[in-house]
Amino acid sequence: MTTIRPFTCEDMLKFNNVNLDPLTETYGLSFYTQYLAHWPEYFQVAESPSGEIMGYIMGKAEGHGENWHGHVTALTVSPDYRRLGLAATLMNILEDVSEKKKAYFVDLFVRVSNKVAINMYKNLGYIVYRTVLEYYSGDPDEDAYDMRKACSRDVNKKSVIPVTHPVRPEDVD
Amino acid sequence: MAVRPQHMHDGGIVERRLRPIYDWLDNGNNKKALQEAEKVLKKSPSLQAARALKALALFRLGKRTQAHALLDELAAEKLSDDTTLQAMTISYRESQQLHKVCELYESAVKVEPLNEELHSHLFMSYVRVGDYRSQQRAAMALYKFAPKNPYYFWAVMSIVLQAKTSEDATKRGILLSLAQRMVDNFITENKMEAEQEARLYIMILELQEKWEDILKFIESPLYSQLVPGSSAQACIPYLKKLGQWRRLNLLCKDLLWDNQDRWDYYLPYFDSVFQLMKEGEGEGEGSADDTAEKCHEFICQLVESMTSGRTLRGPYLARLELWKRLSESGDPTSLLGSGVALCVQYLRVFANKPCAVPDLRPYMAMLPQKERQEQSRDFLTCLGFEEKSEPETTMDVQRHISCLAAWRLAAAPMTAEECLELANTLRTHYLRSFSKGLLTATLTEFCATDGYGILAAHHYFYAAMQQKSTAPVVEALCLLELVLSHSPANFHVKLLLVHLYHFLGNAYAADSIYQRLETKHVQLVSLGWLHAARVSTACAPSRALQLLAATAGFYTHHAKDSVEHLTYAYKYGTFEKLVELRAWGSRLEACVWGGIAARDRALNTLLAGPAPLLHAPAAPLPESPADNRDLNVIVSFEPPEYQDPDLKERTFDQELAYLRLKDALLSSIALCIECSDSRPLEERRRQYEELKTCIDAFSEAMEKCKQKYSVKERISISTPFPSRIFAFVNSPVPYRELYYEGVLMVGALAVGDIKEAQERCSNVSALTATAPELLRPHLATDDWLLRDTLETLANYLEFIGIINCLLGVCNELVAPASTKKSKKKANQSPDEIKTTEHLNKLNETVQSSITFLEEAFEKLPLHRYESNLEKEFSKLTIDKQFGVCPVETKLQNGRQDMITEIQNLLKRKSQCLKSLIH
Repeated sequence: MTTIRPFTCEDMLKFNNVNLDPLTETYGLSFYTQYLAHWPEYFQVAESPSGEIMGYIMGKAEGHGENWHGHVTALTVSPDYRRLGLAATLMNILEDVSEKKKAYFVDLFVRVSNKVAINMYKNLGYIVYRTVLEYYSGDPDEDAYDMRKACSRDVNKKSVIPVTHPVRPEDVD
Repeated sequence: MAVRPQHMHDGGIVERRLRPIYDWLDNGNNKKALQEAEKVLKKSPSLQAARALKALALFRLGKRTQAHALLDELAAEKLSDDTTLQAMTISYRESQQLHKVCELYESAVKVEPLNEELHSHLFMSYVRVGDYRSQQRAAMALYKFAPKNPYYFWAVMSIVLQAKTSEDATKRGILLSLAQRMVDNFITENKMEAEQEARLYIMILELQEKWEDILKFIESPLYSQLVPGSSAQACIPYLKKLGQWRRLNLLCKDLLWDNQDRWDYYLPYFDSVFQLMKEGEGEGEGSADDTAEKCHEFICQLVESMTSGRTLRGPYLARLELWKRLSESGDPTSLLGSGVALCVQYLRVFANKPCAVPDLRPYMAMLPQKERQEQSRDFLTCLGFEEKSEPETTMDVQRHISCLAAWRLAAAPMTAEECLELANTLRTHYLRSFSKGLLTATLTEFCATDGYGILAAHHYFYAAMQQKSTAPVVEALCLLELVLSHSPANFHVKLLLVHLYHFLGNAYAADSIYQRLETKHVQLVSLGWLHAARVSTACAPSRALQLLAATAGFYTHHAKDSVEHLTYAYKYGTFEKLVELRAWGSRLEACVWGGIAARDRALNTLLAGPAPLLHAPAAPLPESPADNRDLNVIVSFEPPEYQDPDLKERTFDQELAYLRLKDALLSSIALCIECSDSRPLEERRRQYEELKTCIDAFSEAMEKCKQKYSVKERISISTPFPSRIFAFVNSPVPYRELYYEGVLMVGALAVGDIKEAQERCSNVSALTATAPELLRPHLATDDWLLRDTLETLANYLEFIGIINCLLGVCNELVAPASTKKSKKKANQSPDEIKTTEHLNKLNETVQSSITFLEEAFEKLPLHRYESNLEKEFSKLTIDKQFGVCPVETKLQNGRQDMITEIQNLLKRKSQCLKSLIH
């Protein structure tokens, strides 16, 4: 049971029950406001009937030519509202927006250790496009999977032919 | 912020020469940047870009005068070189001289009237200062020679903003119809091309309340071309405005058939049903639901239509919503049966999800209290559970916990003994889970079983409040620490631990957990109440200073950044967000917690800072203060009769009153210091008059607040502790008189009213002398009252910090440090000698106060520590070790660290006072 609506600045004051989760990063204020100012349609929140934030998705559109694509910057669901299919709902929205923007594909990065998320994305039709070495800094650094799903514009599904050799973060465009 | 412009025009020599300067500036090495700039200038002394970068480096090195001289010199040269202008813009931005950026580009576009980039910089410079009229002019000028859509809509938006901020209704109307006409023309000429332009058009129509026109526009082919696939949904708010309930009803039903879980479709659907019911006999056309029966039928159809696979909460919750709305005007039971039964039914279906209880919580209040309490056990037993059931799977654990929690939300409050019994049972459940392998938490995911621990902690707390004993709180802390050690990601547990350690008055123990929450950025605002606001009341001023500095850092950073976001919104044409970003900026600026934090920091610095200097906050009190606290972060399991819908507003009012008091006090101290410096007597007198007004206001407000805030708030496990205003205005020590006499003593001395100064000084002495006797009866002997005692003492410590500062100021007045000690005595007049005597007397009284405080801290009651958790744990037949429960050590060390810190600090204060005796 969900209200889906655009994320607003004021949501930042009440997203604690989502963001205190250790895998969800709380960014500096300007990171959020930049996304809001640039890609508002890509920043959506799912709200419970009582007004709690259940989760949100944050993304953008970028790239040139056949690399024009939607990107998932953050997707997070509060622990209290997991296993309700919310992440899929939010991903659908982002894919819809990307379709409307005539993107060729949607991509995202995920920690290689985050099995739950990787499985979920696979179920939603994403494939591991390539591995990005030491993408997440920490102790030790962790690799990321760059996962992709083709949009309808990419008729021949060229964007989702996996790259077999891993790449360095600086080579990711 | 990176200094290098995104596009450098001159790919050649100049860029190569400037590159190292940019590199140093971007790396924060301003000294090197300055050297590099000077090197470049040796070769080409007139290179403007290098001079501008030199100015920036100078500014960042704190050489403001030199920097500004250089900038002024450059500005006079009528520049149009983009690289130079951008470097200068950064200097002006960092020195908060945004209007100078406007002047800079105004003269630049005169030099190059057809330069698109310069014009667009000019526009953005007006955005930063919020000059909407000039924005409009700049955007139109730009559009005339570069006819691109964004520029045109920049102008339209600038008109809309003028309208929005205009107080004159006629002017507002004219501006809005002008904005509308501008867009209408564009539509007629087929020039509209972006979604955000369409949204801006709707915004303009909304401001004029032209709902019909909005609907027409949304239904037009142009809208669906610009904003594909969302027309139906977009109509909802306007159908509501127009009262087209039948249409709204049919539309929402359509949407709901395809999206059975969308609450934002159910709500307008219900609105339409209830409006149609009110209107009575309709035309009967179509299949709009105009009775409760039809509405119920529709919901049932939705429930039935859910085929195999996922059961959605939507239709089930919709039934509860229907019950709730019907109960507001009549009796829903004839149609829907008992509300309790409906809620229980919901629980039966969804108890395996952690969201079941949060979903039910808002509907508990609609149930008649008697019926709810009498049938509360149905919640517990609906899936065959009872308190002592021992579920074997994690799924059943979640079900059991949901049922237990729903039962507690529905039932009548229990006695202390019952609470303790239930808490112990829940704790046993948690411990049992170890041996059953039901603890499935990982480093990043918590697990259902944690719920036993959390629910137990709540019930220990209820028992503690009834018994007025800390023992159950300690029991709760031990259990929660155990849960956390096995489920390190569980932030619900961390939040409870922080709050409960503070409940016992132990800031350091609370801090040990707070750090693990890793709160940062905007969370310092929304969660400041949880920890940062409590630390100085628990007598841990140096840690308070760190937390308050981090908080202040957030606000300062934001103040510098916020106008930049507005320029992004124009750049990307997101006009809707522009309005929102502006409101957000003001909301943060007007944050009451931000105001309190700044003042608390200044007062704490007087007490515990490296040097007792006053850093009065520059920002004045907000005109329309904002409450940015997130008070829902700690989950409550209390029944609806304990819910307090006014709590947020009421406690906000208290915080605001406290802010005003502290602001007046701090302003008075700042004025004291100002009127004691070397300015001419005439000016001092003016300051003194201002000081009188200020401290009078403080004094009056203190009196009013004392009457208004006499009854303390009820303490609960999920809400902030009572505002600091209660302890401050109801203190046994007469702070109103103390501060009043204290600051006027300094003021009188500063303007040479010696007699008055002496009189006020002896008044402060007399009041200070009685303080220990007044405080003594308020010092707890039992750890139950420790938190209150510490807050009382914290207020007195604050006084020690302030009076120390004031005595320092007096010392400068009677015996300036510049004159030699031996000389001082010899040249003193009898009056001066008498003043010194008075001040010495006060000084000594404060010193004996300090001795009293040192003893008082020494005698603070110890935390009682009795927990049988370890014993219970050892009964388990598992090979897991309990490890050491950290609670006892944390409480003891926290207490000791606090006492040591305060005693060291008092020692320093005492030494400082001794140095002022003559």
